[in-house]
Parts: sequence; structure tokens; C-alpha cells
Amino acid sequence: MSDPVKPSVESPEYPPELARLPPGRHGLPREFVARNQRERLIAGLAEAVAENGYAGTTIAHITRHAAVSRRTFYEHFESKDECFIAAYDTVMAELRRRVDEAFNEEEEWPRAVRAGIAVMLEFLTAEPHLARLSMVEALVAGPVVVERYDAAIQGLVPYFEAGREGRSAEVLAGLSPTTEEALVGGMVSLISRRIFAERTEELETLLPDLVEFALTPYLGSAEAAKVARNG
Amino acid sequence: MASRSTPRPLPGRHHLSREFIAQHQRARIINALALEVSEQGYRAVTVADIVKRAGIARNTFYENFSSKEDCFLAAQQYAMSAALGRVVEAAGEIDNWSYRVEAGLAAFLRFVAEEPALARTCMVDALAAAPSSVRYYEESLQAFVSLFRLGRDVSPHGQELPETLEEALIGGVFWILYQRLLERPEAVGELLPELVEFALTPYLGAAAARAVAAEGDGASRASTARG
Repeated sequence: MSDPVKPSVESPEYPPELARLPPGRHGLPREFVARNQRERLIAGLAEAVAENGYAGTTIAHITRHAAVSRRTFYEHFESKDECFIAAYDTVMAELRRRVDEAFNEEEEWPRAVRAGIAVMLEFLTAEPHLARLSMVEALVAGPVVVERYDAAIQGLVPYFEAGREGRSAEVLAGLSPTTEEALVGGMVSLISRRIFAERTEELETLLPDLVEFALTPYLGSAEAAKVARNG
Repeated sequence: MASRSTPRPLPGRHHLSREFIAQHQRARIINALALEVSEQGYRAVTVADIVKRAGIARNTFYENFSSKEDCFLAAQQYAMSAALGRVVEAAGEIDNWSYRVEAGLAAFLRFVAEEPALARTCMVDALAAAPSSVRYYEESLQAFVSLFRLGRDVSPHGQELPETLEEALIGGVFWILYQRLLERPEAVGELLPELVEFALTPYLGAAAARAVAAEGDGASRASTARG
């Protein structure tokens, strides 16, 4: 069966890869656990990396956190790098799904931007291990991951480009081809620096600043500040 | 710049002072590390790679640096102070804040275009190397923050700007440069008007920022031109 396992067993909000399954305590059928070894390894890697950093993490750390054997690890992944890439992709897909959903729920673009940023900050704050994995450790995890990291960030550009629609000629003249990239880069750097500094819990307080920063080129300072402060 | 095939002076056959050679070796090692890291990424580079590229003995490496991390930090500090030195030289004496930002950015872009490996070291690889280098990166950003922050004094709404604005602007500028460094380092200079406009807009509004960006090229050139 290739159907994804219904995530409702552990945590209704999470895909199986991100839900933790402590060994022996979840009362799940053996078959379920077997099918979820890969997911457990991914969750195990996230925990091990949070504890030891990417460079300091060994396969033994991962298998201990995942409570599977070394042999099981190698049935699923060839190396720590490969496991990390799987974990990174899983986290980013989930983050992207949530941002997408929040963004699309709003009718007006400025509020959609605010909703997207809010849900991103919420996810990263609630999951400090995954935040660290995706925004900090990804940078040291080798060229393949760095490439994906770059692509993931550039992938946020269209949400902002949507703000060009319906703007006056004057506003559009003030936007350069790189405006959106610069906005995204600036926002990500604010977020990453808090995670680097292990101040992940402060991320949600950045919401008004990030919203104002993102909207200013399109709406002007005053209007951007209004959306940022009043929601 | 010496190419990799340039013959190196052999020990004992020259009459240079020990101090000069020590300095020179350090610079050569730093340069070799920057090139290796920009090609392979920090993690993959070994001391052996650096030694080979610099054309020095392994012992010489360890006389200068205790580890790869130590060497990287020295490279990063060298690169960042070179970049900041240029920015300060170009921007320092200009009274008008927006022209000052523009001249500073122009100088920074020239640094990036001329020294892509060093620029990468201090802007890109620094974040992926070691905790010590991340700390240094954070500290060095503050110099740029203070240059931008002066814009609050000339902005009609300077008091109301978000606290983190400068941090975000610099992050944005660095991100654009990083993307361009990976693709077309030689074309970085073309970004000047866009980056000036991006940096000035929150302080002055889009129209005024655009005006400076459009005319400003000349202003920065005049301020940095040498007879």
C-alpha cells in the first residue's frame, strides 16, 4: 500500500514524518511502525541535529532518537546527508503547505501576506528543532541542501510578486526586478538570525516589523504600518 | 594576482625578512582557503586542500593557524575589514545621507565584483562555517546597520520605522548579492540603482528613493574618483 498513513493517530495537524512516535508508547500496530521507520528516522535526525548540530550528529545519534537499528537506517538511507535531505524536504513541504493555505484564505493581498508570515512564524516557534534544522543547519549540510535552501527561499518570491497586481504606474515604476528577492532575503535573514542566536521564542514578535517591511514598497510606509499593526 | 602556476620562492634562496614572509604566507593561506571554500563549501575543505593550493608546507599552515576554523575566521575578518574599509573610504566624507548610502553600496559592490571569493567568504560561507564565524558575521553587520540607521534622522517618519528595519534591509542586500555571486559575479555592479532604491525607500518614500538611484551614479563616481 502506498497510501500515506493518516496522520490523525498522533497529532492531527502533522504529516507522519513530523509527528513523534516514542517507541512502545503509542500502541500502534507493528505494521504501522514498520511503515513509519523512515518517518521516525527523519524525526530522529531532527532531534539529534538539534542536540549535536549537523556536523556533530552521527548515525548512532539518529538511530537512538528514532529507536531503530543501524541496519534499519541503512535500509532507508545511504548516509547522514541523505537522511538530512529527506528531513529538510519534509519540513519545507509542510511549511510551504501551511503558508500556501493561510495565504490563499485571504482575499486581499496585504492581509494574505500577513497571514502567510504569521503562520510561518507560528510553525517555526512551535517547532524550534525543525526551525533550526531548516534555517540554520541546512546551511552547513553541504552543497545539495544549500541549493535546496536557496530554491526554497526564492520560491517565496511569487507571494510578493502578486502584490504588483493592480498597483498604479507610479508604484510599479518604484519596484525593481529584484524587489521581491530583496524582501524575501531580508525577512529570512531576520528570522534566521533569531534562530542562530537561540531566540526562536521571539520570532512571533517580529510579525508587525516583517509585515511592514514586506508591504512598504507596494503600499507606502503609512499604509503598510497600518496593516502590520492592526492585522 | 599570481596564478596558481606562478613559481613560489623557495626557502633559503631569498633575502626577504622573516616577518614579511610570515605576513605573505598568511595572506597566501587565507586566499587559498577562500578559493577552496568558494568551490567546495566549508565543510568539504581540508587543511590538505588549503596547503596544496597555497603551495606551502603543512607545518607552515599550523605555524599560522591552529585549525581550519581558525584560518576561516582570519579569512572572514580580512575580507570583512577589506569590504568595510572601502565602504568607509567612499562614504565617510559625504554629508548627504542618501548619497552616502549610495557611495557606500557602490564601494561594496566593487569589492564584491573584484574579490568574489573573499566576498563569498564573509557574506555566504561565514554563515555555514562555525559558531565563531557566525558570531563575527553578526558583529560586522552592525557597522552597516549604523550607516543605514542615520537615515531615520532625515526621514519624515523616522521615529515610526520598525526597530528591525536596518537588519532586514542589509539582509535583503546581502541576499541579492549572494544570488548574483553564485550566478554572475561580474555583473554585480549593475545592481546599484536597484539596491539604492530598495535601501532608501522605507526612509524617503519610493519617489525620492528612485530619484537618488537614477541620478546617484554620478554622485558616487565623483566622490570616489581619483585624480
